Amino acid sequence: MSTLTKVLIVLLTVFSIFLCGIVVTYVSNANNEKETASDLRRSLQSAKAKQDSAETQLEEANKAAEALKAELNAKISDLDTRNKELVAQIDDVKRQNSMLMGENQQQRALATQANELATKQHDLAKAAQAQVVALQAEQSNRRKELDETDQMLLERMAVISELEGKVRRLTEENQDVEARLNQYLQQYGRIAAKAPVTVAPRPTTLQPVSAATVAAPSRMIALNGQVTAVDIKNRLAEISIGAAAGVRQEMKFHIIRGDRWVADMLILEVGPDKAVGIVETVQPGMEPRAGDVVATNL
Amino acid sequence: MSPMPQPRGGKMSPPSNLYTAILAVAFGVVLATSAYVAVACQMRYGTIFGMP
Repeated sequence: MSTLTKVLIVLLTVFSIFLCGIVVTYVSNANNEKETASDLRRSLQSAKAKQDSAETQLEEANKAAEALKAELNAKISDLDTRNKELVAQIDDVKRQNSMLMGENQQQRALATQANELATKQHDLAKAAQAQVVALQAEQSNRRKELDETDQMLLERMAVISELEGKVRRLTEENQDVEARLNQYLQQYGRIAAKAPVTVAPRPTTLQPVSAATVAAPSRMIALNGQVTAVDIKNRLAEISIGAAAGVRQEMKFHIIRGDRWVADMLILEVGPDKAVGIVETVQPGMEPRAGDVVATNL
Repeated sequence: MSPMPQPRGGKMSPPSNLYTAILAVAFGVVLATSAYVAVACQMRYGTIFGMP
């Protein structure tokens, strides 16, 4: 055996052992591709099943989503309708609110006006009370003046009565003197120049003047009014002035139409602002009627 | 022709079996490896030469 053969044998042996070691190592460490493939197949089948189930669930979910979408759309439409109704109600409420605000302002203005009116009325009431007080004071003064006037009138009436007595005495003396003068003139054959004047007898006694009869000298007070009603049958007439104007019972008024005297009337009853009297003397051919003027003095 | 070389000069030497043993070892290793690979393929894939 040659040396080259020996060397080749050794090298062949070494490389065979080396190659066998590598192959064994590789085969022992290699994966089991069949199991891997079967695992992958199972995984694929399970994945397909999962896909199918997922697709089924997806369809169900889509159906549910569509149903939910439809329901939500219905709810949305209902909510839109309700929202529109609420918006309309809000508009109505705003309108009512504005109307109520306007009414409130009007009521406030009315309340303010009422307060102002109340204040004015209060002021007017105060002024009226002051006027009433002043009028009462003036009335008391007038009463005092009236009492004084009555007193003076009584005194004057007494003086007039005395003067009338004096006049009557002087007239009687004058008649006596004229009678004597006529006698003297007849004695001397002359005719009396004047007829003897006869003086009507007058009561010389002074009658007491009562408060009611104080109205008799009312000629001094000029009262004017109008005839408001006439009762021809009962000869009664009503005039437009009363106690407030100074009319008293038994006061005498002249009824005048234009510039003509119609009748006289005597007051029987006196009211605050009217009086009723009886028509005494009537101008022939004329009768008093409503609208005629009544006055104490012609 | 003999596989053993003829000694030159007439000196004779006994034949050695060392390299035969080495070749036997190499053959055995290769055989054992082939058997192992075949068994492994059979156990894993159910076939030795074809595709599973």
